[in-house]
Amino acid sequence: MDKFRNKFIEEATDNINDLEDALLLIENDPEDKELIERIFRAMHSLKGGGAMFGFNTLSEFTHHLETLYDLVREGKYKITRKLLDVTLASVDHMKALLANDDLDAADLRTIHTELSLQIRKLIDNDNEEKQKVVIEKPQNDQSEVKSYYIYFEPDSDIFSDGTNPLFLLDELYTLGECKVFAHFNKIPEIEKIDITKCYTYWEIILVTSEDVNAVTDVFIFVEDQCKLEINEIADYDIIQNIEVINQISKIAEEKTDVGVSEIQKIIKDFSSSKKQSVSLDEMIKMKGPLPSVKENVISSIRVSSEKLDQLMNLVSEMVTTQARLSLYAEQSTDGELLTIAEDVQKLSRQLRDNAFDIVLVPVETMLTRFQRLVRDLSKELNKNIVFVAEGAETELDKTIIESLTDPLLHILRNCIDHGIESPEIRSQLGKPTQGKILLKAFYSGTNVHIQIHDDGAGIDPEKIKNIAIQKGIIKKDATLSKKEILDLVFLPGFSTAENVTGVSGRGVGMDVVKRKLSEIRGVVELESEINEGTTLTIKLPLTLSIIDGLLVKIANSFYIIPLSVVGKIYATDHENVVNKYNNLIILDGEQFPFYYLREEFDLPEGEQESEQVIVVSYEDNKIGIVVDEVVGEYQAVLKSLGKMYKNQEIISGATILGDGTVALVMDTNKIISKFSQDMFNS
Amino acid sequence: MNNKTITKINSYLSFNLGDEEFAVNVSKVLNILEMLKITEVPKSPEYMKGVINLRGIVLPVIDTRIKFGMTPTEYTNNTCIVVMEIEMDNDIVQVGTLVDSVQAVLELQDSQIQPPPDIGNKFKSEFIYGMIKVDEKFIMLLDMEKVFSADEIISVKEKTEKGEVKIEEKEQVIKKKKVKKSKSKDNS
Repeated sequence: MDKFRNKFIEEATDNINDLEDALLLIENDPEDKELIERIFRAMHSLKGGGAMFGFNTLSEFTHHLETLYDLVREGKYKITRKLLDVTLASVDHMKALLANDDLDAADLRTIHTELSLQIRKLIDNDNEEKQKVVIEKPQNDQSEVKSYYIYFEPDSDIFSDGTNPLFLLDELYTLGECKVFAHFNKIPEIEKIDITKCYTYWEIILVTSEDVNAVTDVFIFVEDQCKLEINEIADYDIIQNIEVINQISKIAEEKTDVGVSEIQKIIKDFSSSKKQSVSLDEMIKMKGPLPSVKENVISSIRVSSEKLDQLMNLVSEMVTTQARLSLYAEQSTDGELLTIAEDVQKLSRQLRDNAFDIVLVPVETMLTRFQRLVRDLSKELNKNIVFVAEGAETELDKTIIESLTDPLLHILRNCIDHGIESPEIRSQLGKPTQGKILLKAFYSGTNVHIQIHDDGAGIDPEKIKNIAIQKGIIKKDATLSKKEILDLVFLPGFSTAENVTGVSGRGVGMDVVKRKLSEIRGVVELESEINEGTTLTIKLPLTLSIIDGLLVKIANSFYIIPLSVVGKIYATDHENVVNKYNNLIILDGEQFPFYYLREEFDLPEGEQESEQVIVVSYEDNKIGIVVDEVVGEYQAVLKSLGKMYKNQEIISGATILGDGTVALVMDTNKIISKFSQDMFNS
Repeated sequence: MNNKTITKINSYLSFNLGDEEFAVNVSKVLNILEMLKITEVPKSPEYMKGVINLRGIVLPVIDTRIKFGMTPTEYTNNTCIVVMEIEMDNDIVQVGTLVDSVQAVLELQDSQIQPPPDIGNKFKSEFIYGMIKVDEKFIMLLDMEKVFSADEIISVKEKTEKGEVKIEEKEQVIKKKKVKKSKSKDNS
């Protein structure tokens, strides 16, 4: 049972997220029928599933909400801000209920009562209005009978979870008059029959005063397990018309399926003699929007992320083993082996690309949380802010997305709290009263850039400089470029907020953001203009587990330098790099500061005559690092050095080469910043 | 951790570091490897010898002798890497330890294990949870978790004249740990 409960919790979390998403969307477009449908569907699944798996409180709570949205769906209740506020609060509460259905905690119970009360109030409010509508309704009822054509073909394994399709048909009978045509032509010969499978399917003509939603709701739990088509075929009772029914039954007996078009044709033939005629155009129109919702083909499956991690590990292993095979094949003289090795290489490359593609998740998945944050926080701070996202389809490794959410939430909080001004100040400055936060995600080479831009107050470099001097971070007479000043906000213990609010300004902030991002090999850049706004750009690698690297050799060890930072490689004489006091080298007429890694790694001076200088980019500068030998390009599967090396900063991981030796992956940014510090200190 | 709750294994692997013989419970031992090529990691403490490739896993290797304040291991035909699984900050970590030679697997009853010596004796007791006597020789049973949770080089052997110095060192280690802990609190 626990297994099912967990499955339900997983599904319910999805449903709740979907619900939240839809609620935020509907705020901008309260008339959108499809969104209301989506909200309703999510609630319905939650209610049904909750009751089935013993989440009774959740189920009951959702039931009230559903009642409320049923009214919305019927157009008897308008979507208002108040309604959405209550619903969103309820969504939060539902999340809490999912974790703790028994209402153990006292505060949870208070919230529960409070929200239930508010929902009931909203429903009651509405009932007064409803009374008026109800009075008019009965007269409508008689004339508003409609005929529906339903095609219902359950999947053959529908019995396996205990569903009895006949109960659904029974339920249809409760809606109105039905004419059911059962088809048995899919039943195989008797010896091939599998009694656990369902071979029967039905065509049903239903005459009811309920609308199409009520009909759809009958099938709501089997939606994914059947082929379902619901079409309105006439706006009057066609079962009354015996001739039509006779003709349809005749076709049903002779032919296999009657089909909606056939029925519509028959109706049309007869309706020309009838008082009301339905033109073909109208029928098409009626038919139009419905099938698109219902034709659910399985286009994706749910896989636990654990399995994905496992797959990724195996693929990494495979790439490593393949490198070994290639190396061995190259050394041997067997031509056949070489061909096989090349084929394996090709395949494993494809496999790798495919597998990496699987774990990519669009940025979109984070956006709901951000929308919600902006909405709630801006309201709390009395600011008018709109959140816009561009490039939400940009995909990133799921582990990156996971570790990206918190830093981004923090950045957004900063934007809302410090960036965007209150509407009064904005109008004084001649800006539109509504502030705007733009999140832009896009690809740039093998990186993904995420930009967060607000059109708020911007950061005053003078102010930052003063604070930095006050806090003793920089000297009073220090001359810093604007960029250097802005970068000061990433230092620990730095907060420019003059008064600490509950939202931000506690001094732990941007430094944590920067650290968190560097854990996923992300780099942050800050740009800001006073009164025009602030732009934060985060550069991220596409994936964490594999990098394109440059394989180099120092002494007896191999190292990998990420190819993304490598600019150019020069060969130079040995004496150019040793015993230099200024650590500057001139290459191609340009001057570069450089680090002789043998020296920095405390290794004995090399004996070869020429050295390789690899020019890497470090922030905005180009810096040379000197190694013994450049071996070539290498696809490195990153492995962690483990906990024992947690204090090791300059090496970000290791990879295993084709011959089984371990190569260390350098973090050039850390290497340069560490050695330049060492140099100043010494 | 689980080993204790299920059944206690009474087998111990004994090995040599210099002239002294030590033993660890076999439940901690995963593998005994012959010497492999160790890739050195620059800018790391001296006792962290580097990393090796153990069937696709990058495994850190520690020079146990340096960790215990002896001279660095000299590689001989008998030098082995004993792969152990230890608990570190609530995580299970695998680590390779260099030993001069592996001796034997001993079956010991709890009654054979004598309590660790008190401070002031020849050996420091913090990392030793018991002693056994085999053929007139003492073998020290090591508590590997405690050995690896200490950041600094530790000294198992403690000479009485140097006693004070060592205790100071020990205090420093503890102080450092405290600082670290409070730091991590700040962050959280």
